[in-house]
Amino acid sequence: MSFLTNVLVIALTEQAPLILAAVGFTLIFYLNGFINVAYAENITLGAYFAVVFNTIMGLNFYLTIIPAALLSGLVSVITFLLVFRPALKRGVGKAEMIVLSVGLSFFMRYATKLAFGAQLRLFDIAKPSYWMVFGTGVTSYQITALALVVAIAVGLYLFIYKTNYGEIMRALANDENLALVSGINPTKVSVLIWFIAGVAGGLAGVFFGVTSFVQYIMGWDLILIVIMISIVGGIGNVRGALIAGFGAGFITVAVTLLTKPLYAQVVLLLLFIGALKARGLQRVRG
Amino acid sequence: MAYFIFGFSTMVMFVALAVLLHLQFGVTGIVNFGIAGFWGLGMYSFGVFLVHFGFPYAVSLLLATALTGVLAFALGWVILDMDGQAVLVATLAFATIVMHLVTTEKWLTEGVKGLGTIRYPFDLGRSTEAVFLLIVVVITIAIILYAYKLHSAPYGRLLLAIKDNETLARSLSKPTFHQKLIFFTITSTVMGFLGALNGSINQFLIPRMLGPGVTFTVWIALILGGYRRVLGGLIGAVAAIGLFDLVIETYTPIPAAYAQMVPAIKLMLYGLTLMLVILFRPLGILGDRKRSYLHG
Repeated sequence: MSFLTNVLVIALTEQAPLILAAVGFTLIFYLNGFINVAYAENITLGAYFAVVFNTIMGLNFYLTIIPAALLSGLVSVITFLLVFRPALKRGVGKAEMIVLSVGLSFFMRYATKLAFGAQLRLFDIAKPSYWMVFGTGVTSYQITALALVVAIAVGLYLFIYKTNYGEIMRALANDENLALVSGINPTKVSVLIWFIAGVAGGLAGVFFGVTSFVQYIMGWDLILIVIMISIVGGIGNVRGALIAGFGAGFITVAVTLLTKPLYAQVVLLLLFIGALKARGLQRVRG
Repeated sequence: MAYFIFGFSTMVMFVALAVLLHLQFGVTGIVNFGIAGFWGLGMYSFGVFLVHFGFPYAVSLLLATALTGVLAFALGWVILDMDGQAVLVATLAFATIVMHLVTTEKWLTEGVKGLGTIRYPFDLGRSTEAVFLLIVVVITIAIILYAYKLHSAPYGRLLLAIKDNETLARSLSKPTFHQKLIFFTITSTVMGFLGALNGSINQFLIPRMLGPGVTFTVWIALILGGYRRVLGGLIGAVAAIGLFDLVIETYTPIPAAYAQMVPAIKLMLYGLTLMLVILFRPLGILGDRKRSYLHG
């Protein structure tokens, strides 16, 4: 029983940022219908912004969260306006859109490496206070991450299903021409969604960074799992992303505790390929 | 000279991979992002059979190729009836699994310590590398000739029909899934075979060689050259790898302090090139192929 509670607590606290990233990713996937691999760099850059504010400018960690989140939102909007919107307007095919995003991802990742170097960077933070939850040590930063994830997830849920903007977004995703005829300004809504997704990705990066370290490759290491969570949870489905994200976190922690961290990735990816098949959603009909 | 042969062999290897990707993506429409997985599986299993188990060279080569083929068939059977996006992430996941397992299974692969030494199949003294390079070049030319033949053969037209409109091809009673599966298995197996040969070229294997950089480089080569053309992969690989690895990294005098930045700059420029080509010249340098559908 203690193993199960251990896994539950660690999964909730350590993997909470993963859920945040998945929720942001799924919004873009839903709105524009392609897998944005460059979202990985959004996660990485969020962490780098915060670590630069924290270690070079000497800001308190909690004060770095908001500017880092806003800057990552801005980066996300810039990538949309400079790269993805022109490509969508040119009618680039779906597979080519992903290849394009992989190109952008490599460009941004190695630009980050050139700017910040390959070494691991750590946040300069006060020693966190430890809390014991069901016999498992949890740091105050993890509690903050968890609280923020819950707040943002609830906020996004309300935003998508209860507000006017959410309805407009769903209309755009379902039938762009019909939405245009109804007088919806697609650019305004798209920019807003890309901004929100960027903020969520950046925050995920900040909290991954503060619980371990920051490196240029961190986003790339996470992106496959993020893609997987949003596909298994249902594209554009915030609730689904929450459940699948928690499930992925649970499996990761359980397998890691029993064997090695890399096995957890292998098990997750195998399950992912199976889930793709089982859902049948993506299947070519006939 | 030895370094030049190594660089040239690597370039030829990427030409062959890019032509195979042309067959998968440009002809059949299979978005394979797991090239490093098949290639690396062939390379590492060959190394394990040869060094760890001490099998003869030819047997190791055969077993490694067969193993890649079996796994390519199994993966293809699971994923090939899904759409392009799903195939892309599933193949990427496959490549990641291969890299992780190569890292963790130290008892078999020596993990990050590296696996070696992988010898050449023959020992001709100082000309061993050059003769081996010649063999790789001949294999690559054979793949290119096959690709040309395919473009004018009925089978090639069937594959193109599957890419353009799979539902239509199926309604004309073509077994599209089986054709895709067989073709994907064969081309991926050849990738594994090339990987095994690459084991000899590199002599020493580390898990990092199976990173996403390989897959990405093959894609940039093919997209840059033109994915609908057989020679697109050749031109793209020569432009991307030949220019960078052979000319800039080997012969341009770069101060030692900046030398370690070159690989990062290279991948950054690859990413930029890929974006610019997809945005402004989606069919690459060579563009589309003129095709007559009347005779064949």
